[in-house]
Amino acid sequence: MSVESPAGLVRDDSPPSATDQRVGSRRPRKGAMNHTLGARTTTGKVLTIVALIALLAFTLLPVFMMISTAFDARSEDGSRSLIPTELTLDHFRFVLDEGGFLTYMRNSLIVGVGTVLISGALALLAAVAVSRFAFRLRTSVLVMVLVVQMVPLEALVIPMFIQARHLGLLNQLFGLTLVYVAFSLPFAIWMLRGFVAAIPIDIEEAAYVDGASWGRMFWSVLLPLVGPGLVATSIFAFITAWNEFIFATTFMNDDSKKTAAAGLRDFFGRFGDNDWGAVMAGSTLITVPVMIFFILVQRRISEGLVSGAVKG
Amino acid sequence: MTLLSSGRRSRVLPHRRVWRPWLLLAPALATLAVLLIYPLGRVVYLSTQDYGLRELNLGLSNPVGLDNYRAIFEDPLLRTALVNTVVFAVACVFLTVVLGTLVALLLVRLGTKLRAVVTTAIMVAWAMPAVTGTYVWVFIFDTPSGIVMRGLDKIGMVDPDTTNWFVDRLSFYSIATLNVVHHGFPFVAVTVLAGLMTLPGETMESARIDGANAWQRFWNITFPMLRPVFAVVTILSTIWDFKVFTQVFLMPGGDGANRDVLNLGTWSYITGISQKEYGLGSAIAVLLTLLLLLITIVYLRSMFKEDELR
Repeated sequence: MSVESPAGLVRDDSPPSATDQRVGSRRPRKGAMNHTLGARTTTGKVLTIVALIALLAFTLLPVFMMISTAFDARSEDGSRSLIPTELTLDHFRFVLDEGGFLTYMRNSLIVGVGTVLISGALALLAAVAVSRFAFRLRTSVLVMVLVVQMVPLEALVIPMFIQARHLGLLNQLFGLTLVYVAFSLPFAIWMLRGFVAAIPIDIEEAAYVDGASWGRMFWSVLLPLVGPGLVATSIFAFITAWNEFIFATTFMNDDSKKTAAAGLRDFFGRFGDNDWGAVMAGSTLITVPVMIFFILVQRRISEGLVSGAVKG
Repeated sequence: MTLLSSGRRSRVLPHRRVWRPWLLLAPALATLAVLLIYPLGRVVYLSTQDYGLRELNLGLSNPVGLDNYRAIFEDPLLRTALVNTVVFAVACVFLTVVLGTLVALLLVRLGTKLRAVVTTAIMVAWAMPAVTGTYVWVFIFDTPSGIVMRGLDKIGMVDPDTTNWFVDRLSFYSIATLNVVHHGFPFVAVTVLAGLMTLPGETMESARIDGANAWQRFWNITFPMLRPVFAVVTILSTIWDFKVFTQVFLMPGGDGANRDVLNLGTWSYITGISQKEYGLGSAIAVLLTLLLLLITIVYLRSMFKEDELR
């Protein structure tokens, strides 16, 4: 049995950072609730409410505009009111039938799922390496992962376009998937590293004491515990792929191979600039699945990472 | 995983321990090398070439040394693009971090349930794709049918016949800023909130008893204690905002029709991909990358000094 000595492992108790941030998940400490005292005066309460309303109005305005226009039968009418008076599904019908949005969305789904599977697997292995092992160049690898994120996509689009053309990967969903794996990987490693580090090493050590090899420990102990983190990372990878525009619009000329983000622009140009009802219907089709996904999974992540796993 | 799990039970444990992290890292590092580092090298190479459709089709090389860079530095567009890139990014980062922090400070005052609801609402802004978000903001400020234009027209503040906010550089970028900040502040808010939750309430309370007002409490207690959190959100926002492309490119005139509103990213793309001057476009891309590299190095150095990246 290979039993790792604790010396081979790294305790990562770095301060809370973006990497440790998991959507909606927080572990309030004793005393944290005292912050609520801020709203104890009447003026304070009123100010809080006003600020909340302003925040929600600003945050939700675009979504509201998008969805209400998509359903508005009079979206082309200049005198239309903010809240639609007459609802219709015509815009959606038009977008799906003539706009070819079904194909676009299917392509986006294929590319997104492919990206999630590949980058999730690669990122998990890499995250375990950087958060559980002390090795030479560890910090250099971490810095490289951070620096690589800063490379602008616009700088890569020209050489990658030429390369993909030579390799015959233009208009191939697989080619686009590969590109998105590369883009989502650095952030996925960076984020998963926080999740792996948050799992107490005691649990791992307990597995070794029970006679597990490192591989068995990884598969049966680490993987289930890092599950919520993997889900969170997957959302980011999926959204990266689903939303990406530059490469999608550059690589995919063939209408049957376009993803939704690239297809919408094409659509915007093809049917004239003023058909806002149709453009917003297309936007709604692209946006709403991502939002539902985001909100659903946010809850699951906030159920807590490893709370209680180490107790008892 | 199967490679590591069973089977190879070598007795040379220390040796395996040295190689295991590298085995785990290998697939990710190989992918990044082939798909990010190699193209990055290629873009530098291309920037020293006069590379157009002919070279692309025939696979030729046509080295011209630093001619592409000379051409850029003599182009008056460089100034426009540089100002548009830097000023826009600085404004976006500043506003995103300030708004995000304010929202986090607001959220921490709320009860658990209300906080969950508001956080979810904020997530909606975050989840909105750049493409659709941009179209919605264009729609909101559109001439003449956008709600802002119609609202201001009704109270007689603007004339829809003579006003087009997408032509003027300042108003164009103000709308783009609104779009980017709207999309970016939720990340800052949620991250700072997570940091705020870890602060000991006792410290805050004793400061309050000592008569420190909210402003003083923030700058003397919250900010110093959450320095690493602010460092990370600022860096990530800076990196993201300097390479804003989609939000500018998809606005009316942003795809090259209006030269006043080009930034380094769109300029590079339009020159390289649309006009098929791959060499010249690459040189602009290299310039943008160097700018970002410079900023990242400055940030990383300040982080290392604080011993915050471990």
